Amino acid sequence: MTRLEKVFNKKETKNKVLVTYTVAGDPNLGSSKKILNDLIASGADILEIGVPFSDPMSEGPVIQKAHERALKKNIEFKDILNLCRQIRIKNKNIPIVLMGYMNSFLSLKNKLAKELNQAGVDGVIVVDLPYDESKSFFNNLKKENIDLIRLISPTTDSIRLKKMLASSSGYLYYVSLKGITGAELKNFNEVKNKVKKIKSLTNLPVVVGFGIKDASTAKKMASFSDGIVVGTKIIDFIEKKSTPKISNFTKSLKKAINSYG
Amino acid sequence: MKYKNLNKYAFPDKEGRFGEFGGKYVSETLITALEELEKVYAKVKKDKSFQEEVIKDLNDFVGRPSPLYFAERWTKKLGGAKIYLKREDLNHTGAHKINNTVGQVLLAKKMGKKRVIAETGAGQHGVATATVAARHGLECIIFMGEEDIERQALNVYRMKLLGAEVCSVDSGTKTLKDAMNEAMRDWVTNVEDTHYIIGSVAGPHPYPEIVRDFNSIVGKELKIQSKKEFGKYPDIIVACVGGGSNAMGIFHPFIKETKTKLVGVEAGGSGVKSGKHAAPLSDGKVGVLHGMKTYLMQDKNGQILSTHSVSAGLDYPGVGPEHAYLRDIGRVEYQSATDQQALKSFHDLTKTEGIMPALETSHALAYVNKIAPKLPKSKTIVINLSGRGDKDMFTVAKEDGMTL
Repeated sequence: MTRLEKVFNKKETKNKVLVTYTVAGDPNLGSSKKILNDLIASGADILEIGVPFSDPMSEGPVIQKAHERALKKNIEFKDILNLCRQIRIKNKNIPIVLMGYMNSFLSLKNKLAKELNQAGVDGVIVVDLPYDESKSFFNNLKKENIDLIRLISPTTDSIRLKKMLASSSGYLYYVSLKGITGAELKNFNEVKNKVKKIKSLTNLPVVVGFGIKDASTAKKMASFSDGIVVGTKIIDFIEKKSTPKISNFTKSLKKAINSYG
Repeated sequence: MKYKNLNKYAFPDKEGRFGEFGGKYVSETLITALEELEKVYAKVKKDKSFQEEVIKDLNDFVGRPSPLYFAERWTKKLGGAKIYLKREDLNHTGAHKINNTVGQVLLAKKMGKKRVIAETGAGQHGVATATVAARHGLECIIFMGEEDIERQALNVYRMKLLGAEVCSVDSGTKTLKDAMNEAMRDWVTNVEDTHYIIGSVAGPHPYPEIVRDFNSIVGKELKIQSKKEFGKYPDIIVACVGGGSNAMGIFHPFIKETKTKLVGVEAGGSGVKSGKHAAPLSDGKVGVLHGMKTYLMQDKNGQILSTHSVSAGLDYPGVGPEHAYLRDIGRVEYQSATDQQALKSFHDLTKTEGIMPALETSHALAYVNKIAPKLPKSKTIVINLSGRGDKDMFTVAKEDGMTL
């Protein structure tokens, strides 16, 4: 069983899964590592680590600035892999998923899958790589047992969804709104119905992300999904130089999502 | 020459690719919108009444066909090949950009969209979009880099007069590429009621095809005009290339006419070797940005590099995917001209012909300035005079050490 499967395997844990997103190297590599370890200690079940990119097209202003802060520190892909390795040394079980843009992943060319595997990375989310363009990328990652996590959006129709599900693994990431990260989440029922629809078509776990900024929203979202993703709010603490607050916030999320129903 | 037979040249293919280039590298949310656009466009491409509507607007609103003008004094001065100018500068709003927006706004209406958005660098595409939005009564938002807003104050005011809202983009390098990022962010948020009018043969499929087709009117007219004017197709066609829409518009109808040499001229900035330029076809690597696979200016980690050019319209780190393909198969030759060469040609044409070209266009002129004297008088060169230079007054004055 892969690390991701273990986390979602409900026989082992009845808990809903808390996924956190931070950007590698924000505000610098050392702090980044500390923040990631704090997140694990406060209840994060999966670490999504953002690969900073010069043109983060799907990000709202908060995460854009995180990318810019990291790039100012000249973070390179090899630094990110090192960071993953260091987390992995301390923690054998926590799944690590790199999230970024296609051009960053392309920079490693055909060494990508192997490098990711060796760094202890479990999965990859590529924001601008839709299903249609992903066949060879997916197959290359598979060879090294790296999951390509699919993003599903409110505009994904069921015909397309079925095609995507045929080549998905790890978990599914439901983007709860039409928009950018950290935007205002308006239609709760629409999210609920869509997640139910996805779950009726697959056994893969579905997590919900984009727009979850507080414990009460997290709790609602977790009530019908397998877990939630929180990024912008955590990064907001980093931007405001109040990283010590991240632990308590994470703990509150973890508590909230496991007190549903 | 690497290509063998271009008779069957028919790109993009079903996946929206030109060879390995192009594609649809966008977030999942945008896929549906692109598919809808693809479907509607395929339909209107065959729809006679739609095409007639476009032609009517091109004639009556834009002022087409644009003349093919013999630059007699400049030809004499250079003493070689005959030089003709395809006068896109005489179009309504002063550049080729309007050819595309006239068509795309009709597409937007066909899809029932009430709101149009666009990115702009020099402001020409922003003005062209604001113009058609005003004509059709659509809400219009233009994204423009903070730095370009300063460089192109006149165009910003023009857009505002036309009723558009100009959004200043202060992320990244604060120029065209960041304006495009921000337009994408708006589109993904308002995808249901908004059409994104991309201004170049760039972006995800089907944009490179749509923008090319609407600009192809330039090359189609040239085919008729050149036969009439000098009894054959031109020997050489030259156009400047940023994203590449004016070049693709004039090149595309000639791709199968292999006796006509096609040359695209990129922005060489301070020189391609200096690294300070905007010439990805001369000095870039294949990557993915803004929904397409193409040549990009990037570092070894795939970070997009900041570009440099005296002309805001060419200040873009990527290039349309069809250009990338035409480069690789050797059908089009890509060259570059530096800021200084372009500025010199700007002055030359202004003084010799009484035509003030855009700084973008001046890059194509600079290349012709170099090759025309070496060619016999029997040869004909056509330059796509893609825009007029009024918008560049402040930049040129500044380069010349003057304050206006």
